[in-house]
Amino acid sequence: MKKILAQAWKEFRLFRRDKLLILLAVLMPIVLMLLAGITGTLRLRNVSLLVYDYDNTPLSRTYLETYGAALTFRINPHRPQESPERALASWRGRAALIIPQNFERDFRRGAEPVVQLMIDATDSNAATALGNYAASLNTSFALQNGISRPPAKGVTLQQRLWYNPGLSDRVYFGTGGLGLMLIIFPALLGALTTAKEYETGTIIQAYASSLTAVQWILGKALLYVVIGLVEFVLCFGLGLLVFEFRFPSNPTILLVATVFYLMAGVFFGMMMGNSTGNQSAAIQGVQMGSFLLSLLLSGYLFAIRNIPIQIRWLSYCLPATHYVQIVRNSILRNAGWGTSFTPMVMLLILAFTFFFLNVVQMRKMQFKG
Amino acid sequence: MPAMIRRYLALLAKEVQQLRRNRVLVIQLMLPPTIVLVIFGYALNPKVRDLRVGIVDESFTTESRAFIDALTENVNFDVIHQYQRTEEAEEALKSLDLDLFVVIPVDFSRILNRGQTADVQVVIDAVDANTAQIAQGYLELALQAYNNESFATPVSGPRRRLRLVNATHPAPPPGVPDVQPAYLYNPGLETSWHYVTGVMSIIMFINASLVASALAVKEKEIGTIEQLLMTPAQTGEMLFAKTTPVFVLMMVVLFLSLGVGMLVFGLPVRGAVWLFALAGALAALAGIGIGVMVATVSKSQQQAQLLTFFVNPPLTLLSGATSPLENMPDFFQKLSYLDPLRYMVMIVRGVTLKNAPWSALWPNLVALTVFSIVLFAISAWRFRKT
Repeated sequence: MKKILAQAWKEFRLFRRDKLLILLAVLMPIVLMLLAGITGTLRLRNVSLLVYDYDNTPLSRTYLETYGAALTFRINPHRPQESPERALASWRGRAALIIPQNFERDFRRGAEPVVQLMIDATDSNAATALGNYAASLNTSFALQNGISRPPAKGVTLQQRLWYNPGLSDRVYFGTGGLGLMLIIFPALLGALTTAKEYETGTIIQAYASSLTAVQWILGKALLYVVIGLVEFVLCFGLGLLVFEFRFPSNPTILLVATVFYLMAGVFFGMMMGNSTGNQSAAIQGVQMGSFLLSLLLSGYLFAIRNIPIQIRWLSYCLPATHYVQIVRNSILRNAGWGTSFTPMVMLLILAFTFFFLNVVQMRKMQFKG
Repeated sequence: MPAMIRRYLALLAKEVQQLRRNRVLVIQLMLPPTIVLVIFGYALNPKVRDLRVGIVDESFTTESRAFIDALTENVNFDVIHQYQRTEEAEEALKSLDLDLFVVIPVDFSRILNRGQTADVQVVIDAVDANTAQIAQGYLELALQAYNNESFATPVSGPRRRLRLVNATHPAPPPGVPDVQPAYLYNPGLETSWHYVTGVMSIIMFINASLVASALAVKEKEIGTIEQLLMTPAQTGEMLFAKTTPVFVLMMVVLFLSLGVGMLVFGLPVRGAVWLFALAGALAALAGIGIGVMVATVSKSQQQAQLLTFFVNPPLTLLSGATSPLENMPDFFQKLSYLDPLRYMVMIVRGVTLKNAPWSALWPNLVALTVFSIVLFAISAWRFRKT
């Protein structure tokens, strides 16, 4: 134990000397969490809609008002003499609404006037959403103007939205962002210091010293887990201020999970450092293995169920998947141990696996005696 | 002049020799465009399907079963379980076994038969606001279809008399405008195209900056920079010699990722390839510029790598490569104009998917050029000072 603490102390003194590193370790998670939480949203607002009104009658203008009143669309005039195809190809709008001549006359005749909506489908997901949205605006226009009967009322739905009644995106992305921040930086620091020992050759000293592989790894990891805990406190504070976090009634679950999670992250980073022995490669490994995979596959942005089955197993091998679930359970759902038990066990298993791999890698080189 | 070129070539030969021995770097550069691109192209799918639904049917009548059938005809709903009591369903929702559940009250069929409106309760787990909203939308649609089918009263008024002629073919109510959406550029609504083009641009930029900063700071860390400074070579020549191999490798990466996109995902290339290559080259240059700049302010690789890590995610998030820019708060939208990656993403999508007209592409190209020249010039200037 003493040896572990001594190793951690040595690491701390190395870390303390690097002012820029300290600044980055503290500042980076906060700035990134803020950015990731605010920019990460899939809901569409203020989409620029180009309008080609060839009818220009009171009715066509009323029709346009329906679109203008929606939050999703922002109506923009088109340039004279520019075709809708060309305007869309030049990013002047995401969609173009074309109202044909005789719109009002067709309407009064009882024929169905056809309105065309051209959508830039380079972002296919947004395009589908816009198409559906336009269809529902169309229905509401018909309802308002008494063209179609109000839908028959046999059964109505009484909806209740649990855990997030305001349907706020911030809560969701904030909790995910917390998980994301805590996997990146401790893992990065772990990877960098380990790889550095290889680059500068000081790893030989560790091999030759009386420290066992387990002690060396634990000593190194201890410091970064502690730094990670500091980052956790900072990020949680930010969450309380900006992302509508609430204190869970049983904070132990969250704390225990955080420690396991940080351990998994640091061990993963050290593993990368050990196996590459090169700082820039180690960092690339961490970037791919923990940042990008966690960003995209952990359920931070897209639900895990939507990931094709062939690579879904990868999600379950990511510590972030389980941690984000625990964070959301305790902060948003305020659920107890019951739902967090399985992810907790998974976190522990992953942390231990990474640790074990580290020990194996180190042992190979350790002098016996 | 020839002496300058000779010195440059000598330095270049040295860098190429060093890089050739650095196998990790080659892997580092080749892995992202192939494996990562494929994984993300397949994995990223924001569509919501297979929502897990629980049902508590307290009424247990023909009517309630018909209602449940109508709701769950939808492919997006998967009925997981029928519960006897509401508490059980609540428990299942809490332990994340369900996304939503529907409670049909005891008096459901009696109220309906009396001709009144029956209430059905739906509880949705709204932690994921986006999914919850989409689930709401699906439910509303299913309910509308059910109500129209079961309770619609025949059309009354003068129009109906006219339509009696053709009463066997019920048509939609007259006069309702019909919106016909046309999906341009991606009529099959292929999700992967959007992400593949985005990730492709991100890789160009991030990899260039990471590798360049690592290379530029390495000599400083090991101390061999002193040896270089004593040679007659100018700092500018040194910088160019250092960045040329990275640049060449990045161009290989660019076409590799385009090839993967075309072969694996059927990504169309509708515009001019040379524009794509030019944009890629400029983005690589800007990325290298950022990398070198970061390297000049840091003393060790550790600092340099962390700093690039600090710089890159904001650039990625603000570029519109993964999430639409319109969604962001106004301030961030304005900020995105300062992001060189934004222009790269526009050009890549403009060339591959859209075949955008030149008039729309050149402002992006100019912006990207300005950024890469400025970034590279600053980095050269800073590099000289070290």
